[in-house]
Amino acid sequence: MPLVIFVDDSETALASTRMVTNSMPIEVKQYTEAQVALAEIKAGMVPDLIITDLNMPVMNGFEFLKELRAVPATKRTPTLMLTTETKPELKQQGKALGLTGWIVKPFNPAQLKQAITRVLRLPA
Amino acid sequence: MMMLDSIDELLEHIKEVQVDVMELSNESLMKMSSFMEKNNLEIDEDISTALQYQDIITQQLTATNEAINSMKKSIDIFSHAYKSDEGLANESIVKLKDKLNATLQDAKDKKSRFSGKHATEHADDEIEFF
Repeated sequence: MPLVIFVDDSETALASTRMVTNSMPIEVKQYTEAQVALAEIKAGMVPDLIITDLNMPVMNGFEFLKELRAVPATKRTPTLMLTTETKPELKQQGKALGLTGWIVKPFNPAQLKQAITRVLRLPA
Repeated sequence: MMMLDSIDELLEHIKEVQVDVMELSNESLMKMSSFMEKNNLEIDEDISTALQYQDIITQQLTATNEAINSMKKSIDIFSHAYKSDEGLANESIVKLKDKLNATLQDAKDKKSRFSGKHATEHADDEIEFF
Protein backbone atom coordinates (compact mmCIF):
# COMPACT_ATOMS: atom_id res chain seq x y z
CA MET A 1 0.00 0.00 0.00
CA PRO A 2 1.24 3.51 -0.71
CA LEU A 3 2.65 5.33 2.29
CA VAL A 4 1.19 8.75 3.10
CA ILE A 5 2.74 10.84 5.84
CA PHE A 6 0.98 13.68 7.62
CA VAL A 7 2.94 16.33 9.51
CA ASP A 8 1.01 18.74 11.74
CA ASP A 9 1.68 20.10 15.22
CA SER A 10 -2.07 20.01 15.90
CA GLU A 11 -3.15 16.67 17.39
CA THR A 12 -6.77 17.37 16.51
CA ALA A 13 -5.90 18.08 12.88
CA LEU A 14 -4.03 14.76 12.76
CA ALA A 15 -6.99 12.97 14.36
CA SER A 16 -9.25 14.48 11.73
CA THR A 17 -7.04 13.33 8.83
CA ARG A 18 -6.68 9.89 10.45
CA MET A 19 -10.45 9.44 10.55
CA VAL A 20 -10.78 10.58 6.95
CA THR A 21 -8.10 8.21 5.63
CA ASN A 22 -8.73 5.10 7.74
CA SER A 23 -10.98 3.57 5.09
CA MET A 24 -8.56 4.26 2.23
CA PRO A 25 -6.17 1.64 0.79
CA ILE A 26 -3.10 3.49 2.08
CA GLU A 27 -0.63 3.22 4.94
CA VAL A 28 -0.58 6.37 7.08
CA LYS A 29 2.13 7.69 9.37
CA GLN A 30 1.66 10.88 11.37
CA TYR A 31 4.14 13.27 12.94
CA THR A 32 3.69 16.33 15.14
CA GLU A 33 7.24 17.52 14.31
CA ALA A 34 8.62 17.90 10.79
CA GLN A 35 12.19 17.28 11.92
CA VAL A 36 11.20 13.82 13.22
CA ALA A 37 9.57 12.91 9.90
CA LEU A 38 12.63 14.21 8.06
CA ALA A 39 14.97 12.11 10.21
CA GLU A 40 12.97 8.98 9.34
CA ILE A 41 13.05 9.87 5.65
CA LYS A 42 16.81 10.37 5.81
CA ALA A 43 17.02 6.99 7.56
CA GLY A 44 15.31 5.28 4.64
CA MET A 45 11.54 5.81 4.85
CA VAL A 46 10.15 6.50 1.36
CA PRO A 47 6.68 8.08 1.41
CA ASP A 48 4.51 8.16 -1.71
CA LEU A 49 2.74 11.34 -0.61
CA ILE A 50 3.52 13.96 2.03
CA ILE A 51 0.85 16.22 3.50
CA THR A 52 2.22 18.90 5.80
CA ASP A 53 1.09 21.91 7.80
CA LEU A 54 2.87 25.23 7.21
CA ASN A 55 3.00 26.98 10.60
CA MET A 56 4.82 24.67 12.98
CA PRO A 57 7.41 25.35 15.67
CA VAL A 58 11.08 24.34 15.15
CA MET A 59 10.69 23.49 11.43
CA ASN A 60 7.89 25.01 9.37
CA GLY A 61 6.33 23.52 6.25
CA PHE A 62 8.51 25.44 3.80
CA GLU A 63 11.71 24.53 5.63
CA PHE A 64 10.55 20.91 5.66
CA LEU A 65 9.80 21.05 1.93
CA LYS A 66 13.27 22.48 1.16
CA GLU A 67 14.87 19.66 3.13
CA LEU A 68 12.70 17.07 1.38
CA ARG A 69 13.78 18.32 -2.02
CA ALA A 70 17.41 17.93 -0.98
CA VAL A 71 16.94 14.24 -0.19
CA PRO A 72 17.18 12.10 -3.37
CA ALA A 73 14.35 9.77 -2.28
CA THR A 74 11.87 12.64 -1.82
CA LYS A 75 13.18 15.03 -4.46
CA ARG A 76 9.97 14.58 -6.49
CA THR A 77 7.58 13.11 -3.93
CA PRO A 78 4.14 14.77 -4.27
CA THR A 79 3.67 17.14 -1.34
CA LEU A 80 0.51 18.97 -0.33
CA MET A 81 0.35 21.90 2.10
CA LEU A 82 -2.56 21.68 4.54
CA THR A 83 -2.79 25.01 6.30
CA THR A 84 -4.91 27.87 7.64
CA GLU A 85 -2.92 30.26 5.43
CA THR A 86 -4.70 31.66 2.38
CA LYS A 87 -2.25 34.32 1.12
CA PRO A 88 -1.53 34.00 -2.65
CA GLU A 89 2.13 34.97 -2.13
CA LEU A 90 2.61 32.02 0.23
CA LYS A 91 1.04 29.70 -2.34
CA GLN A 92 3.44 31.07 -4.94
CA GLN A 93 6.34 30.50 -2.58
CA GLY A 94 5.18 26.90 -2.10
CA LYS A 95 4.81 26.39 -5.84
CA ALA A 96 8.34 27.70 -6.42
CA LEU A 97 9.64 25.22 -3.87
CA GLY A 98 8.02 22.33 -5.73
CA LEU A 99 4.78 21.95 -3.84
CA THR A 100 2.09 19.85 -5.54
CA GLY A 101 -0.96 21.59 -4.12
CA TRP A 102 -2.50 23.73 -1.40
CA ILE A 103 -5.40 22.80 0.89
CA VAL A 104 -6.93 25.38 3.22
CA LYS A 105 -8.19 24.29 6.64
CA PRO A 106 -10.77 23.36 7.62
CA PHE A 107 -10.66 20.85 4.78
CA ASN A 108 -13.64 18.98 3.41
CA PRO A 109 -13.14 15.23 4.15
CA ALA A 110 -14.48 14.12 0.75
CA GLN A 111 -12.17 16.49 -1.08
CA LEU A 112 -9.13 15.43 0.93
CA LYS A 113 -9.92 11.82 -0.03
CA GLN A 114 -10.28 12.86 -3.66
CA ALA A 115 -6.97 14.72 -3.58
CA ILE A 116 -5.12 11.72 -2.15
CA THR A 117 -6.83 9.41 -4.65
CA ARG A 118 -5.89 11.71 -7.52
CA VAL A 119 -2.24 12.21 -6.51
CA LEU A 120 -1.65 8.52 -5.80
CA ARG A 121 -3.76 7.44 -8.80
CA LEU A 122 -5.79 5.09 -6.62
CA PRO A 123 -8.93 3.47 -8.04
CA ALA A 124 -11.81 5.93 -7.52
CA MET B 1 4.54 53.56 37.03
CA MET B 2 2.35 51.45 39.29
CA MET B 3 -0.24 51.57 36.53
CA LEU B 4 2.20 49.90 34.13
CA ASP B 5 2.90 47.19 36.70
CA SER B 6 -0.84 46.51 36.89
CA ILE B 7 -1.11 46.36 33.10
CA ASP B 8 1.83 43.95 33.04
CA GLU B 9 0.13 41.71 35.60
CA LEU B 10 -3.14 41.83 33.68
CA LEU B 11 -1.37 40.88 30.44
CA GLU B 12 0.33 37.96 32.19
CA HIS B 13 -3.06 36.83 33.50
CA ILE B 14 -4.60 36.99 30.01
CA LYS B 15 -1.73 34.88 28.68
CA GLU B 16 -2.27 32.23 31.34
CA VAL B 17 -6.02 32.12 30.66
CA GLN B 18 -5.37 31.73 26.94
CA VAL B 19 -2.95 28.86 27.52
CA ASP B 20 -5.60 27.15 29.69
CA VAL B 21 -8.24 27.69 27.00
CA MET B 22 -5.97 26.13 24.35
CA GLU B 23 -5.23 23.11 26.56
CA LEU B 24 -8.85 22.54 27.56
CA SER B 25 -10.14 22.96 24.04
CA ASN B 26 -7.52 20.53 22.72
CA GLU B 27 -8.29 18.02 25.48
CA SER B 28 -12.04 18.12 24.87
CA LEU B 29 -11.70 17.60 21.12
CA MET B 30 -9.11 14.85 21.57
CA LYS B 31 -11.54 13.04 23.91
CA MET B 32 -14.23 13.34 21.26
CA SER B 33 -11.99 12.10 18.44
CA SER B 34 -10.66 9.28 20.61
CA PHE B 35 -14.25 8.17 21.31
CA MET B 36 -15.05 8.25 17.61
CA GLU B 37 -11.95 6.28 16.65
CA LYS B 38 -12.54 3.64 19.32
CA ASN B 39 -16.10 3.14 18.13
CA ASN B 40 -15.21 3.28 14.43
CA LEU B 41 -17.60 6.17 13.87
CA GLU B 42 -17.38 7.78 10.50
CA ILE B 43 -16.33 11.41 10.45
CA ASP B 44 -18.57 13.80 8.54
CA GLU B 45 -17.82 17.30 7.30
CA ASP B 46 -19.18 19.04 10.41
CA ILE B 47 -17.14 16.96 12.86
CA SER B 48 -14.04 17.29 10.69
CA THR B 49 -14.51 21.05 10.66
CA ALA B 50 -15.02 21.15 14.44
CA LEU B 51 -11.77 19.23 14.99
CA GLN B 52 -9.90 21.56 12.67
CA TYR B 53 -11.24 24.68 14.40
CA GLN B 54 -9.05 23.65 17.34
CA ASP B 55 -6.00 24.29 15.17
CA ILE B 56 -7.32 27.74 14.26
CA ILE B 57 -8.07 28.52 17.92
CA THR B 58 -4.55 27.49 18.94
CA GLN B 59 -2.87 29.53 16.23
CA GLN B 60 -4.97 32.60 16.96
CA LEU B 61 -4.35 32.47 20.72
CA THR B 62 -0.65 31.70 20.26
CA ALA B 63 -0.34 34.74 17.99
CA THR B 64 -2.15 36.86 20.60
CA ASN B 65 0.18 35.60 23.32
CA GLU B 66 3.17 36.51 21.14
CA ALA B 67 1.70 40.01 20.81
CA ILE B 68 1.28 40.20 24.59
CA ASN B 69 4.92 39.17 25.08
CA SER B 70 5.98 41.91 22.68
CA MET B 71 3.81 44.49 24.49
CA LYS B 72 5.19 43.45 27.88
CA LYS B 73 8.75 43.85 26.56
CA SER B 74 7.99 47.34 25.18
CA ILE B 75 6.34 48.41 28.44
CA ASP B 76 9.32 47.07 30.39
CA ILE B 77 11.78 49.07 28.26
CA PHE B 78 9.70 52.21 28.74
CA SER B 79 9.40 51.61 32.46
CA HIS B 80 13.19 51.28 32.85
CA ALA B 81 13.80 54.43 30.78
CA TYR B 82 11.31 56.35 32.88
CA LYS B 83 12.84 55.21 36.17
CA SER B 84 16.41 56.05 35.10
CA ASP B 85 15.68 59.48 33.63
CA GLU B 86 12.29 61.14 33.78
CA GLY B 87 13.49 63.55 31.08
CA LEU B 88 13.46 60.67 28.64
CA ALA B 89 9.88 59.82 29.47
CA ASN B 90 8.25 61.93 26.76
CA GLU B 91 10.54 60.55 24.09
CA SER B 92 10.10 57.02 25.38
CA ILE B 93 6.32 57.20 25.43
CA VAL B 94 6.28 58.06 21.72
CA LYS B 95 8.47 55.03 21.02
CA LEU B 96 6.22 52.90 23.23
CA LYS B 97 3.14 54.03 21.31
CA ASP B 98 4.79 53.18 17.98
CA LYS B 99 5.85 49.75 19.21
CA LEU B 100 2.42 48.95 20.60
CA ASN B 101 0.77 50.03 17.35
CA ALA B 102 3.16 47.83 15.35
CA THR B 103 2.46 44.90 17.65
CA LEU B 104 -1.29 45.41 17.29
CA GLN B 105 -1.03 45.54 13.51
CA ASP B 106 1.06 42.38 13.42
CA ALA B 107 -1.47 40.61 15.67
CA LYS B 108 -4.35 41.71 13.41
CA ASP B 109 -2.50 40.46 10.32
CA LYS B 110 -1.98 37.09 11.98
CA LYS B 111 -5.66 36.92 12.96
CA SER B 112 -6.54 37.26 9.31
CA ARG B 113 -3.81 34.90 8.10
CA PHE B 114 -4.55 32.07 10.53
CA SER B 115 -8.32 31.93 10.08
CA GLY B 116 -8.30 29.60 7.10
CA LYS B 117 -11.64 29.23 5.36
CA HIS B 118 -13.40 30.25 8.60
CA ALA B 119 -12.71 33.90 7.80
CA THR B 120 -13.91 33.70 4.22
CA GLU B 121 -17.62 34.23 3.77
CA HIS B 122 -17.80 32.36 0.48
CA ALA B 123 -14.96 29.94 0.98
CA ASP B 124 -13.78 28.12 -2.08
CA ASP B 125 -13.69 24.45 -1.20
CA GLU B 126 -11.53 23.48 -4.13
CA ILE B 127 -8.07 22.11 -3.46
CA GLU B 128 -5.57 24.06 -5.51
CA PHE B 129 -3.13 21.97 -7.51
CA PHE B 130 -0.05 23.57 -9.01
